[in-house]
Amino acid sequence: MEAYSGSRQHGWRKWLLNRFVLVPAAILAVAGAWDLYASAHDDGLVIGQVLDAQGKPVEGAEVTLWVFSFTTFAENRSVKTGSDGSFRITGNPSHHIQLSAAKPGIGASQRIPIRLYFRSQNTKLAAPLVLPGKA
Amino acid sequence: MRRSPTWPIHLALIAVCFVMLVPFYWVLKTSVSGENIFTFPPSIIPRNPHLFYYVDVWYAIPFARYFLNSVIVSVITIAANVVFNAMAGYALTREFRGKGFILILFLSCMMVPFQATIIPAYLITGQLGLLNSYVGLALPQFSTIICIFVFKASFDAIPGSLIDAAKVDGLPEWRIVWTIMLPLAKSAMATNVILSFIWSWNNFLWPLIMTRTPEMQTLPLGLARFLSYQEDTTGALYAFCIMVLAPGILLFLLAQKEFIQGLTSGATKG
Amino acid sequence: MAMALPAAPERRSTSFLRKATTRQAMLVWCFLAPSLLVFLLYRILPLAWNIVLSFQAWSPLKPAVFIGLENYEEMLTDEVFWQSLWNTVFIILSAPVGIAMALGLALLVNSNISGRNLYRTLIFLSYPLMTVAVAIIWRWMYDERVGLLNYVARLLHLTDTPIPFLNSFFWALPSVVVANIWQMLGFYMIILLTGLQNIPSSLFEAAEIDGATASDRFWRIILPLLRPSIFLCFVIGMLNSVTSFDLVYVMTGGGPGRATEILVTYIYKLGFVQTRFDYAAAVTVVFFIFLITVAWAANRISGGNAGARDME
Repeated sequence: MEAYSGSRQHGWRKWLLNRFVLVPAAILAVAGAWDLYASAHDDGLVIGQVLDAQGKPVEGAEVTLWVFSFTTFAENRSVKTGSDGSFRITGNPSHHIQLSAAKPGIGASQRIPIRLYFRSQNTKLAAPLVLPGKA
Repeated sequence: MRRSPTWPIHLALIAVCFVMLVPFYWVLKTSVSGENIFTFPPSIIPRNPHLFYYVDVWYAIPFARYFLNSVIVSVITIAANVVFNAMAGYALTREFRGKGFILILFLSCMMVPFQATIIPAYLITGQLGLLNSYVGLALPQFSTIICIFVFKASFDAIPGSLIDAAKVDGLPEWRIVWTIMLPLAKSAMATNVILSFIWSWNNFLWPLIMTRTPEMQTLPLGLARFLSYQEDTTGALYAFCIMVLAPGILLFLLAQKEFIQGLTSGATKG
Repeated sequence: MAMALPAAPERRSTSFLRKATTRQAMLVWCFLAPSLLVFLLYRILPLAWNIVLSFQAWSPLKPAVFIGLENYEEMLTDEVFWQSLWNTVFIILSAPVGIAMALGLALLVNSNISGRNLYRTLIFLSYPLMTVAVAIIWRWMYDERVGLLNYVARLLHLTDTPIPFLNSFFWALPSVVVANIWQMLGFYMIILLTGLQNIPSSLFEAAEIDGATASDRFWRIILPLLRPSIFLCFVIGMLNSVTSFDLVYVMTGGGPGRATEILVTYIYKLGFVQTRFDYAAAVTVVFFIFLITVAWAANRISGGNAGARDME
């Protein structure tokens, strides 16, 4: 009887190491790595700095986080900048946000759109928010 | 034989391939730029390409859910197809009373397109209590006549002496099928896997009729639904198209030979 | 492997099978049972049920009443039915156009040129794709404001005003047909290519010696010998395009008005939008008879057994 089942026994390498297994495995590996990366970097941090028209940091400016919902951006939360003009928002829930900064007497900045690769991705603004006036 | 120059042939074929591929390119381009939805004339090369439309799609719809549903239904369909069709194909290689009737029955069933049975099929599935379930989604495609005949043809090609010898050795029937016949019918199996994958993966009408809840919807349904509320507003729709098409294209490129072989044998052996 | 065993003569094998015991016959039926059950449930029973339903007045909330031919009488005066029947016929009549194009392509990719496998792959690529996605792609190719076709048409000064392909009563149906041909072209090509490769090359060599011209070769050898493949294409293409519910549903939804309504979409709407299962069943019966008739006619014309093959 063994004669009929012989052909399959040493074939596991062939079953495992072919393109129909390797390509999906590679895709799964990339997806898994991406998931791991995402779950390690999704604290919802948004870090940046607010400057005035002359490039000096602005203390006490109010930075507002706007979150995209359906067709418009809704105000989500706001924080005040520190003495070096930096701010740190936690708990950003979205992947599609806008940021704006304002301080009475100096004016309001433009809203800066930010798109993230996954929800709550930690991000650092590449360019500071700029207020039109002078601190 | 005198050789005529081949460049006119190349030229014609390149033109045809261009026509066949332009829609793909255009969709791909829109999915990374979204720009020519608002601009005229559209640009050929995407300006500032980005992947954020894909992110939008991912969060706008339960893509993973749709994908999982599609995969589950396809896997059930493929598994049932290979097993049932191989069994039926094997049975048809034997002589038995009523074989002629069964053959005629199968051939005439082939002429009944599924679309012409949707109403009773829906009512029957309702009676079975399988509406809005994975099994119900896959059930009508559990067995396909073309693939039964593909299996029959490849079993017929196995020399009878081989089977007789195994019988003389006292091998039970199921072991004969499992250890001798199936390994020799590999190409028929590949054909069956590919055909049933295309049919179940692309199936639209049946899931449209019988799914009730968004949790049970498959990718084609999700795509059609997305179209209905996202219509030409963003590149997200086209990003979704690409995400839906990618698995099919990938499989096609991986198993090109088997694909074409399978489709032609499915069509011509029947 | 087992080939080393003494090979029994073929005749012995059939007599061996003839002696099939009851147990073996049982086994055969057991092997057939799952497939038979599926076909019974989803092919034969529905067909019978359709016929019964078509003579009744019934909806899920009302008890069934036998009403004879009333459903069929209604069909006679139902303009939407006739419109969708005509549209279905139009789609079927368009199949030969696609097949002729595919025949040209098959001849081209069958010639001895480098890279022909690449060409075959690229042309075939559109066939196995999800039709819903193909429909969305084409919807957008046809778009009035941003569609590629209108862009090209304006670039070449073919038209001054954009053509609303899918919103025009005149253009909608041909537009759907073009998308359908685009998707089926590669499939037709592969079937015809297989047919071409099965033509013995000795025939061409003989023709060469006789001094046959290229057109002789085409009309006298290729076309007659390809007849079975061509009709196979036609039957499969017909069943495929006539039942291409997805394409029509997503591209136009049957509109504008009823300009692209085909029988399958009409049946769907009757059954699952208006819940008129009884009347939908009657339309289905007519649709089915229509399909069988066309397939039978194609089969007769081809003179072979090219019919009776369905690619779902």
